[in-house]
Amino acid sequence: MGPPPLATIVACSAEASKNFVEWYYASINDGKSVVQGYVNASERYTVAGQPPADICINGRVVATPEEWDALLAQQRRAANPTASANPFASTDKVDTVRYEVASYDVHVINSDYRFAAPPEVLVDYTITSNGGARRKAEGSVRIVMMLTVSGTVHFTATDGRPLAEQHFHDVFILVPNWDAILRHGSKATRRYIAISHTYRAY
Amino acid sequence: MAPPTGPRGNAHRSAPRGSRGGGITKRRGTPRTDKDGDVAMDVPATGSGTGDAPARGNRGARGGRGASTRSSSQIAENIRNYGGDSGQAQGSKAHFNRTTLKILGLRNSKAASNNDGGLGTLVNFIQRKASKEKPIRISKSTLDGDYAWITVNKDDAPVILRLNGFVYAGATLEITETTERMPNDSSSRTTTEETKKNLLAVLGKRYHAEQKLLDLSALGRDEGLSMMGAFGSQSLAEKAFKALLHLATSQYKNSQEKNEAIEAVSLARNDINDVQQVFTLVFSLPDLKRLDLSGNHLDSLPKIAKWEHRFQQLQELHLTDNPIMNQDNFVPELLKWFPSLQILNGQQVRTPEEIAESLKLISPTPIAQFPSNLRDGENNVASAFLSAFFILFDSDRARLASEFYDDESWFSVSVIPNPGRTLPWKSYLKFSRNVNRISTSRSPDLLKRIFTGGDLIAGLWALLPSTRHPSLDQPGQWLIDCHTFPGLADPSGQGVATGLAICVNGQFEEADTAQNIFGTRTFSRTFILGPSNPANPRSKHPYRVISDQLTLHNFKANEAAVVQQVPAVFAMSTLATVPTVAAAASVPNIAPMTPDAATKAQLIQELSSRTNMTAEYSELCLGGAANWNFDLALESFEKLRATLPPDAFLTAT
Repeated sequence: MGPPPLATIVACSAEASKNFVEWYYASINDGKSVVQGYVNASERYTVAGQPPADICINGRVVATPEEWDALLAQQRRAANPTASANPFASTDKVDTVRYEVASYDVHVINSDYRFAAPPEVLVDYTITSNGGARRKAEGSVRIVMMLTVSGTVHFTATDGRPLAEQHFHDVFILVPNWDAILRHGSKATRRYIAISHTYRAY
Repeated sequence: MAPPTGPRGNAHRSAPRGSRGGGITKRRGTPRTDKDGDVAMDVPATGSGTGDAPARGNRGARGGRGASTRSSSQIAENIRNYGGDSGQAQGSKAHFNRTTLKILGLRNSKAASNNDGGLGTLVNFIQRKASKEKPIRISKSTLDGDYAWITVNKDDAPVILRLNGFVYAGATLEITETTERMPNDSSSRTTTEETKKNLLAVLGKRYHAEQKLLDLSALGRDEGLSMMGAFGSQSLAEKAFKALLHLATSQYKNSQEKNEAIEAVSLARNDINDVQQVFTLVFSLPDLKRLDLSGNHLDSLPKIAKWEHRFQQLQELHLTDNPIMNQDNFVPELLKWFPSLQILNGQQVRTPEEIAESLKLISPTPIAQFPSNLRDGENNVASAFLSAFFILFDSDRARLASEFYDDESWFSVSVIPNPGRTLPWKSYLKFSRNVNRISTSRSPDLLKRIFTGGDLIAGLWALLPSTRHPSLDQPGQWLIDCHTFPGLADPSGQGVATGLAICVNGQFEEADTAQNIFGTRTFSRTFILGPSNPANPRSKHPYRVISDQLTLHNFKANEAAVVQQVPAVFAMSTLATVPTVAAAASVPNIAPMTPDAATKAQLIQELSSRTNMTAEYSELCLGGAANWNFDLALESFEKLRATLPPDAFLTAT
């Protein structure tokens, strides 16, 4: 069986990237962990010998997604002020760092990805309009994507004054998270996870 | 019935008591406090000396709490206008219900010899006579020639028109309704201007330039303000404060100028018992450095808490002569609230080092910036590829596409068309594949805007404006990160191949001769390189471009100006090490590229129109040291302008 038609992989990659982008930036804006978005979170990949995700932040290699979480927390700093338990203080939470996505684009760089894939997904990887729901959900999942995201990072003081803005550019290489696709394990796991993440903000 | 005659004697009434509540209050010998402990204030029994008879009727509702005279309600209105609250809107809304009446006969009356030509007593007379059934109010009045003009509520007009033919001070009045405009509508404006002038005079005495101090202390004792009746009530006092603050801070063009002019404010001795009463200070002067609140009635932290985490620049605070000074242990909390606070009541409470530390703890700090990170293996594939790539992209895109791209290569461009930026996006927008802006994953644009295969890609590139990238020898101009990764399909169809991901951030100069657009753009470009397909006869290199995504964003360096308010660490990490930011106009010494004749002609024409130089000199200028770089040519023109001979310029028109 040949690879799926271009239109199919384009549509699938657009869908998958939208899902990833929305989840990813909502999470970091809320100060939530993004560890689930990296290949390190998949036991199947680890067992198969996949190296940990290559994360390079502003030119510095970061060993684990947890460390990236910590860097983001450090960047936010005042988001959870150690301040007083002053009951009279304003309760408005100020998001001191906010990522605003202005643009993203995605390419499929391998439409026949098989690494660490369970045999089920090797059988059929095209979306068929007459296929069942299950087959649809699994269709054209065996893609590796290069996703680039650009936008603005807004820095705000705890009193709500805007401090500065940076432009950011993120590049992710995403592979299918086989377990999530086959609905093995937790519902919360991501369908695509990053094996590479390069970040620059300036 | 004989018409009644007027005017009658003025009936002074004592004003209602000032209401209690918040606000700056006028200080008297012994402040009276009410049950809540708020400072109450006695209002003078009569108006503030204008001698006007108080109008009867519903002025209480208009003048606000406790406004005792028309003059003070007028001031209240004026102050409200300067305070910028909703009073204005209400005022203009009311106009729809008003009508104008003309009154003839005042000239012949005995009252004509009064200072105001008898207008004041006439207005009183009419109000009194017309208020038999329900109180009416004349909102505006003026004299113009033989006529007195008044503006009243439309509903009240019939009652007043009934007074037509009445005798007033020996003269018969002729009252008619008119659609003409009131001739001199400026009476109230004059008073407004007057109020502004008076407030400015008050401010003049209270601003101390050398200390950059706006002294709003003891407002209740200010003679200028009490002359104006601004302290007729507490609400007026609060409005006077707002009006003064508004006037003071609106004298400056921008907040930077304002911050430089006003670093300190004194609100001492204003009977403040909660900063809520003067809360707006934080909006007017958020970057205040010194604040004097001494001699007020602040008795505990909660009374200051409204300002918690405001005034992040506040270095000096005075709270002496406030009951809070008798409390224990409130200082540490204050220090948390005001991270820059260094001096409290004249005593140093924190060192500058501790301040820096406290600011660092609460301010968001961008992630540190490091130089390019090239992990492309021993063969330096990325460096070799990029140096070839950008030179060819600037000079021979067709060759570039045929050498490095094959049928499986993908290219797309996306733009972030930020409004208000320098260069237009027209040339790119129709190709822009910004998935964020394309609504559904089934949109045909998603597919159409991916360019696959070297030929198609070269075809698109031919349509995009010419570019000139800086040389890779200038590390300051680029931020490049790359590393290898597993996961590509091997071209042989068997197994997995290693890929190289290269992320480039930089800028280029653009010359869009079709649109006549010249300038600098910032961009990010990401490549995925993979092994070449040995079956492809055209492949000249061991690797090929599998994916090429270009993002154009036109980031502008000078926008980082906001960074001023950020701790030093911030500025360093954003500016010092970000090379793409620095070079605004000059991208020197890049791979030689000579534009074709048509482009040259365009450039010459453009330079000529910008500089008024003749075509000949424009060409000399472009072809000289600038080497057809438009910005450099402009630069050298600016340098040499004075030394150029007159015949270098087109004749002046």
